Amino acid sequence: MSASHSYGSRPWTFYALALLFTLFVIFLYGPMIAVLILSFQGPSASLVFPLRDPSLMWFDELFNPRRVGDVSGAFGRSLPLALIVMVLTVLISVTAGFAFRRRFKGATAIFYMAIASLIVPGLVLSIGILVTFRYLGLSANWYTSGLGAHLSWALPFGLLIMFAILGRLSPSYEEAAYDLGASKWRTVKDVVVPIVFPGMIAVALFGFTLSYDEFPRSWLTVGTKNTLPLEIWTMTTNVTSPALYALGTVTTVVSFIVIAIALGSIVIIQRKRSRGK
Amino acid sequence: MNKAAMNNPASAASAAQESGEIRLVNVAKQFGNSYAVRDINLTIPHGSYCCLLGPSGCGKTTILRMIAGHETPTSGEVWIGDQMVVGKPPVERGTAMMFQSYALFPHLSILDNVAFYLKMRNVGKEERRSQAEEMLRRVQLHHLKDRMPAQLSGGQQQRVALARSLITNPKVLLLDEPLSALDEFLRLRMRGELKSLQDELGITFVHVTHTQPEAIALADMVVVMDTGRIDQADTANMIFDRPKTPYVARFMGGQNVLTGKVVRAGNEPMRLKSASGVIIETVPASFNMGDNVSVSIRRDRIGFARKSQASTEAINELSGTIIATEYQGSYVKVTVDVGDGEPFVANVSDDIYFRDPADVGDAVTMSWKPENVHILNKVDTGEAGASFLDDSH
Amino acid sequence: MSPTPTRKSLLTTYLQVAPLTLVLICFFVVPVALVVVVSFFRYQMLVGIVPDFTIRNYVDLLTNPTTWSLYISTLKFTLIVLVITFVLGFWIAYFLVFHVRNLLVAIGLFLLCTVPFWTSNIIRMISWRPVLGKEGLINNALINTGIIDSPLQWLLYSDFSVVVAYVHLFTLFMIVPIFNSMSRIDKSLLEAAIDAGATRWGVVWNVVLPLCKTGIALGALFVVTLVMGDFFVVSVMSGGLSGSATSGIFNDLQFLNYPRAAASAVILLIVVLMIATAIFRLVDVRKELAR
Repeated sequence: MSASHSYGSRPWTFYALALLFTLFVIFLYGPMIAVLILSFQGPSASLVFPLRDPSLMWFDELFNPRRVGDVSGAFGRSLPLALIVMVLTVLISVTAGFAFRRRFKGATAIFYMAIASLIVPGLVLSIGILVTFRYLGLSANWYTSGLGAHLSWALPFGLLIMFAILGRLSPSYEEAAYDLGASKWRTVKDVVVPIVFPGMIAVALFGFTLSYDEFPRSWLTVGTKNTLPLEIWTMTTNVTSPALYALGTVTTVVSFIVIAIALGSIVIIQRKRSRGK
Repeated sequence: MNKAAMNNPASAASAAQESGEIRLVNVAKQFGNSYAVRDINLTIPHGSYCCLLGPSGCGKTTILRMIAGHETPTSGEVWIGDQMVVGKPPVERGTAMMFQSYALFPHLSILDNVAFYLKMRNVGKEERRSQAEEMLRRVQLHHLKDRMPAQLSGGQQQRVALARSLITNPKVLLLDEPLSALDEFLRLRMRGELKSLQDELGITFVHVTHTQPEAIALADMVVVMDTGRIDQADTANMIFDRPKTPYVARFMGGQNVLTGKVVRAGNEPMRLKSASGVIIETVPASFNMGDNVSVSIRRDRIGFARKSQASTEAINELSGTIIATEYQGSYVKVTVDVGDGEPFVANVSDDIYFRDPADVGDAVTMSWKPENVHILNKVDTGEAGASFLDDSH
Repeated sequence: MSPTPTRKSLLTTYLQVAPLTLVLICFFVVPVALVVVVSFFRYQMLVGIVPDFTIRNYVDLLTNPTTWSLYISTLKFTLIVLVITFVLGFWIAYFLVFHVRNLLVAIGLFLLCTVPFWTSNIIRMISWRPVLGKEGLINNALINTGIIDSPLQWLLYSDFSVVVAYVHLFTLFMIVPIFNSMSRIDKSLLEAAIDAGATRWGVVWNVVLPLCKTGIALGALFVVTLVMGDFFVVSVMSGGLSGSATSGIFNDLQFLNYPRAAASAVILLIVVLMIATAIFRLVDVRKELAR
C-alpha cells in the first residue's frame, strides 16, 4: 500500500527551475562558444556559420598591426596594467579591511565614499579624471590616470570582499596568538594571513579582471594609446573579418587562465588545509 | 486555563476527538549510502509525553522530522491516528513542530509570527490578529506583540515558538531539543511548564533530547536510541531502573555493568563469575551453565567500606582503589579502579561517606545484594552499538 | 579588537586606511567634484573652457527635447532589464540554494554562472552577432525548420538585442547578492512555514522574498547604475539606432565641449543617486543590518 504514497521524489519546481538554469547557462556560454568556433574560420572570412576550411589564419592576422591595429601593443599595456591594479588592490584593500575592524572617526564617511565610487557611472568618472589631469597640466596615460580610474572601481570591490572575509575572522584567533607570545607582526604573518589567504586570492582575481576588461573608465583616461578593451571597441567598427573573433578568443583564453590559476590555488590551499599539511 | 479555551473557533474540530497516536512501522531512512535510522517500530500512545533520547547523531531528530513530514522515510510507514501520513504535507498531519532554533521569522513581528498559520489559511486580518493576541496572552507575552524576534530573550523566543505551534491546534506537538538553547535556570522552569502544558492540553508530545534527566523528568515514555536503532522504549522508571541493554544502562548513567559466565544455574540463585574472578549472585534465572550474562547494578545500591581482610571467595563483593571522588550534595560519587575493565562507581550517601571519608588512593570494598542485580537482555560487547552509519545526521 | 583603542593603535588604523582614502580622494572625490564645477563653466568655440558661473549648460540640456527622450529611452531599458534580471537572478539563486541538495554541486553551478563575469564584456557583446545576425544561428535555424521565410530583422541592431546584451552582461550582478542573502536563510524557517500550511508559493512570498530584500536591493542598485551609465552596449547592439542618457556626453566630448558634457554627467549622477536612494528607502537597510 505504501506504493501509492510519495517517498521523497523531487517537486515539479525542481525540474522547471533546472530547465531554467540550463537555458540560462546556454544563454551565457552559447554565444561565447560560437565566437570561439568562428575564430577558426577559413579564408572565406565569413562572419557567420558554417565554419569552412578551419584555419589559424585570423590569429596570425591579429598580430599583424598593418591589418587590424595595434593588438600586441594593447596587450602589452593591458596585462601590466591589470597586474599592477591586482597587486595594489590586494595591498590596499586588505590593509583597509583590517582598519575597518576597529571603530575610528571617519570610518562611515570612508565606507560611503567607497560605495559611492562603486556606483558612480564609469563615464562620469572618466570625464572627471580627464578634466582633473587637464587642470593639473598632466597628460593622461594608462599608468597614471588609467591606473587611478581602475583603482577607483577595483578597490571598493576588494574592500567589500575583505569585509565578508574578515567578518568571519574572529578576533579570538589573534588574541590567542598574543596570549601564546606572538608579536604583532608574527600574528599577522603566521595566523591572520594564512586564514584570509583564499579571500586575498579572490580580491586579486577581481582586481585583475576588473582592470583587464574595464571599458568606460578607461575610455578617456588611458591617453592616446589604447588598452585592449578599447582596441576591441575600435575594431568592432572597422574590422569586418573573423580576426575580431580571434581576438575575442585570445582575450577570453587569457581570462580563463587567470580564473583557473585563482580558483586552482584556492582549491589547493583548502585541500592542504583539510589534510593538515 | 481550561481545555476549552484552547480550542479557538477557527479550528473548532477538536484535537481531543482525533487520536494523536503515532505508529512507526519498519521505518528506515537512508542518506546516501548510510542509514540514519533503521528498523524503527514504535507506538506512541495518544496523549502521552514521549522523549526520544540519545547522543547526537543517533537519528532521534530524523525520526521527529519524519513524523513532522519534513523528511520522507526511505521505507516503512508512519501513522498518526488512523492515517498513513507518508507523502502528506505537514499541515495535513495535525502535527506542529517547534524547532531547535525556534525558527521565528526574523522579518515578522511576534504577533505576525503567531498569526502566520492563520494567514496561510486566509483568515481575515482582524480575526487572525485577535486570535494570535489571545494565544500570546496565554504564554504571557502579549505585551511584546509588536517586537521583532531579535529583540526577545531566548526564553521569550521559545514561548513565541510555542504559541506559534499551538495556534494550529495540533494533536501532536513535536519538540526538537526545545530546552537546549536555554540557561540552566530557564531550562528547569520551561521543563516544568512544558509538562504542565501537556497535562492541560492532553495531546501527544514528542520531545527530542540528549539529556537524560530531562527525559526522565518529563516523559511518560522514554525511547532510548543508539546509532539509528531503538534500544528500549519504556517508562522512565523502567528505563532507569531496569535497562534492557548494557548501552541503555551506561547511557542513562547510574548503573555499573558487569559480565560473567554462569557458574551456577537451576532453581537456586544464579551465580556468575567474571573474567577477573568476581562472583555475582542474582535471583534465579533461566540461563544455562557457561552462558555469558551481563548485569547492571545501580550505583546507589552499593555498600561501601574500607577494605577488610575479606576472603577472596566473597560473593557480590568487589575491591579496588579510589581514583576520584566527587561531592554531589546529597551523595558522593566515588569512582574505583577495580583492576580490569571500566571503573566501578558507587554513589554513597553523604552521611555514610563522611563518617569515614575515604580519599583517592585508599583501598575500598564494595558490595551489593542479589536482589539489586539486574540481568540485562544483551551481553555486553563493550561497543556502543552497531556502527553501520556514519555520524552525519 | 580592543574596545578602547590606544592612541598608538589608532594611528596604525589611520595608516592602514590612508592608501584607500588617498586613492579615492584623488581618483573619485576630486574628479567628481571637478565635473560639478566644470559643469557651470562656459564653453566658447575655438577658445575652449572658460571659467565662469553659468547655468546655461543645464538650461540647454533640460530644454532640449532630445535629452528627455534619451532619458526616457534609458529608463525604459533600465526598467525592462531590471525586471528580467531580477526574475532570472531570483529563481536561479533559489534553484541553487533550495533545490540543489549537494553543497559542492551548488557551489560548482554558482561558479559556472560567475565565470563569464571575469571575461571581457565587449567580447561577450560582440559574440551575439553570429547568433542574432541576419545570417546568424537563430535566423538560420528558424528558416531551416520552415518557421519563417525571411530572416527576422529585429533580432540584431534593435532594442531587442540591446536588452539581450544587458541581460547577458548584468544578470550576474543580481544573482550574486541574492544568492548571498538567500543562502543565509535558516532552512528551518521554510519548514516552519510549511508546517503552518504555507504552499510552495506562500513560502517564497512570505519568507524567502522578504528575507532576500537586501540582496535584491543591492542587485537592483548595480543593474540600475550599470544600465544608466552605459553608452557602449547601446551603441554597439542597437547599431547606432538607439541612444542612451550618456549619448549627449559622448557627442559633446567629440566637440571638446567639456562644460556641457560635465553638466550631462551631473544630471546623470543625480538621476542615478535618486534611484539609489529610492531603492534604499524601499528596503530599510539599517533595520536589515540590525537584525
